[in-house]
Amino acid sequence: MAKTAALTGVNGLRDIRRSPASHLAEALDAGSVRGQVVLNEGPFQTMAGVRVDPRSEGGSRIAAVTGGLPVRCGEVTGTDSISVLWLGPSEFLVVAPEAAHDSLGGTLIGSLVEALGDAPGQVVDLSANRTTFELSGPQARAVLEKGCALDLHPRSFTPGTALNTEVGNIPVVLEKTGEESFRLFPRASFADFLGRWLLDAMREYGSPEVP
Amino acid sequence: MLLISCPNCGSRDETEFHYGGQAHVAYPENPNELNDREWAEFLFYRDNTKGAFAERWLHSTGCRQWFNMLRDTVTYDIQAVYPMGAARPDKSAPAPESGTASTAPDSTTTGTAAPSIAATSTATSTAPASATAPEGATK
Amino acid sequence: MADLLPEHPEFLWRNPDPKKSYDAVIVGGGGHGLATAYFLAKNHGMTNIAILEKGWLAGGNMARNTTIIRSNYLWDESAAIYEHALKLWEILPEELEYDFLFSQRGVMNLAHTLGDVRESMRRVGANKLNGVDAEWLDPQQVKELCPILNINDNIRYPVMGATYQPRAGIAKHDHVAWAFARKCDELGVDIIQNCEVTGFVKDGNRVTGVKTNRGTINTEKVGLCAAGHSSVLAEMAGFRLPIQSHPLQALVSELHEPVHPTVVMSNHVHVYVSQAHKGELVMGAGVDSYNGYGQRGSFHVIEHQMAAAVELFPIFARAHVLRTWGGIVDTTLDASPIVGTTPVENMFVNCGWGTGGFKGTPAAGLTFAHTIATGTPHELNKPFALERFETGALIDEHGAAAVAH
Repeated sequence: MAKTAALTGVNGLRDIRRSPASHLAEALDAGSVRGQVVLNEGPFQTMAGVRVDPRSEGGSRIAAVTGGLPVRCGEVTGTDSISVLWLGPSEFLVVAPEAAHDSLGGTLIGSLVEALGDAPGQVVDLSANRTTFELSGPQARAVLEKGCALDLHPRSFTPGTALNTEVGNIPVVLEKTGEESFRLFPRASFADFLGRWLLDAMREYGSPEVP
Repeated sequence: MLLISCPNCGSRDETEFHYGGQAHVAYPENPNELNDREWAEFLFYRDNTKGAFAERWLHSTGCRQWFNMLRDTVTYDIQAVYPMGAARPDKSAPAPESGTASTAPDSTTTGTAAPSIAATSTATSTAPASATAPEGATK
Repeated sequence: MADLLPEHPEFLWRNPDPKKSYDAVIVGGGGHGLATAYFLAKNHGMTNIAILEKGWLAGGNMARNTTIIRSNYLWDESAAIYEHALKLWEILPEELEYDFLFSQRGVMNLAHTLGDVRESMRRVGANKLNGVDAEWLDPQQVKELCPILNINDNIRYPVMGATYQPRAGIAKHDHVAWAFARKCDELGVDIIQNCEVTGFVKDGNRVTGVKTNRGTINTEKVGLCAAGHSSVLAEMAGFRLPIQSHPLQALVSELHEPVHPTVVMSNHVHVYVSQAHKGELVMGAGVDSYNGYGQRGSFHVIEHQMAAAVELFPIFARAHVLRTWGGIVDTTLDASPIVGTTPVENMFVNCGWGTGGFKGTPAAGLTFAHTIATGTPHELNKPFALERFETGALIDEHGAAAVAH
């Protein structure tokens, strides 16, 4: 993970922060098959877990900060820089670039806390909870299908959709960001396993085709 | 592997769910007034039905919401999926009113956000082959 | 080459029609039912008795278990009954005049975490106090006893040691059933197959007969030995049991040369493995989470079990699964059995053995026969009464039961 000079954070802690799959960076690069399927660990994100009744006033105030709240399974709302993923009827994951974090000069978490106010619910800073794998390429879907029981065919899983499910027996939020690109959000402790699992699933596409 | 139709998320593999045992077991209204026998019944005795069994399930990897399910313990056929707090949809009884999962005392929902769902939606009839929620699952 | 199997005796048992009445009827023709009938006849002189089996003899859990026999349970009450069972296993081949291949090849229970290690060492201590041969093995000693085990510390759940009971082992499960059945028959017990119980005849709160698909049979006493179906029978009789029936699976590989000299169980990663006399690897899995009477379990449970097995025994990666099956286990909340009287007069119940009933077979039979014959429990099964769920005197053996449920 390349350090971002501008983001020094509190007491310089940002400088020593390592991402959960950083030890796999070389392996991910080596295991990627250009033109077939490419895997890398994405940059740090600011993430907030939000629990609120979307139909309440508190929900409306939160929605004003995030650019809406998704109303059904799979839906992703947000702005250019913020994605709000549906986790449950009253539970959402807000994902934004790292710089949005309050410790780095941003305002996202504070704004969400303020928007919720005294309303029932909670806003929790989960920025270190999950890491991000970015998987893309024409074989990306085939790789995921080895360990995900959902129907990932484009007719039912469309870009701009995110689902809470399992990939390789690991609980992840699986987001489809483009026709051939996905983001996987596993919890940090599963990053090593899932990274290696994905690499293993990608291996066949680096091998010569059996005639 | 059961294919379970989550009221919020649609048809998913059993591995995404957590089993919660027999449904419709109410906490005693006056626990202090129970004798040992009644307390034992509440703590340790659950129906062990051979046939249609009403049980609780939690979509732990998905929406983290509890719901009830009527399942045959011999054929493993899922006969109905219905919200917490709703009455068991017996074949003879009329289908219960649509309920909101969030109003049930043991729902994990923080607010009243849970969508109302059809009380007798079955795994086969409302679960499309898609990964997204069944039509009408959310409003 | 694996040892040759012994020849069957020429004569096994009759296949009689039910009589009009018996002094006692045992419901369930599995290991426990057969052992109960045997001890009723042998120890209590009750020979006008019948075993009713809805299917075929020993075709339920007796045909579906992984045949592990051990007595290394934590609490005094459990150690007493399981150790008594083990002592009976040691003399039964001679007593029943049938070599059912009881092989005391030892059983290891692996520890994979610090919590496991502490719990296991505690159990070894408790076992020693109860006269159970138990010892603690460090990983090197584990490797010496079972060279195919992977004791590297670079796996997710490394082997940090094991409890070991040298007198434990395995037996050939159908031969055990046949041994009991042959002796029962010899002593005059009627073993009636394809005879399903459909209800009970009661005089007030006293049971006086059994309704079956082959007619009503009058009887003075009824003993229930139906494992996963105990709740169904109890409901017919008008009382409840605190048990839940779950599918439990096992599987075997094709036959291999002897590679696995002992029995290895891992509660933590959830697999237990031995190699049967013929050479197949016998592996048990966990229970399915939900209640089920289907005698089949889920594929993902087997997948989990295989992952654990291959991590512990890398050599198994090249073995093939030959056959998988499921039984219906009757689990209790404290992972201990229920052997004793019921709210119905003259009706007795032996159930709740859950995932470990096979090893208990002789002691279940002995104590249950005593309970049926005398109307009061044997010293060994007194703590395992149904009443313990009211008194709170539970016997929590989840740590030693080895299959989580």
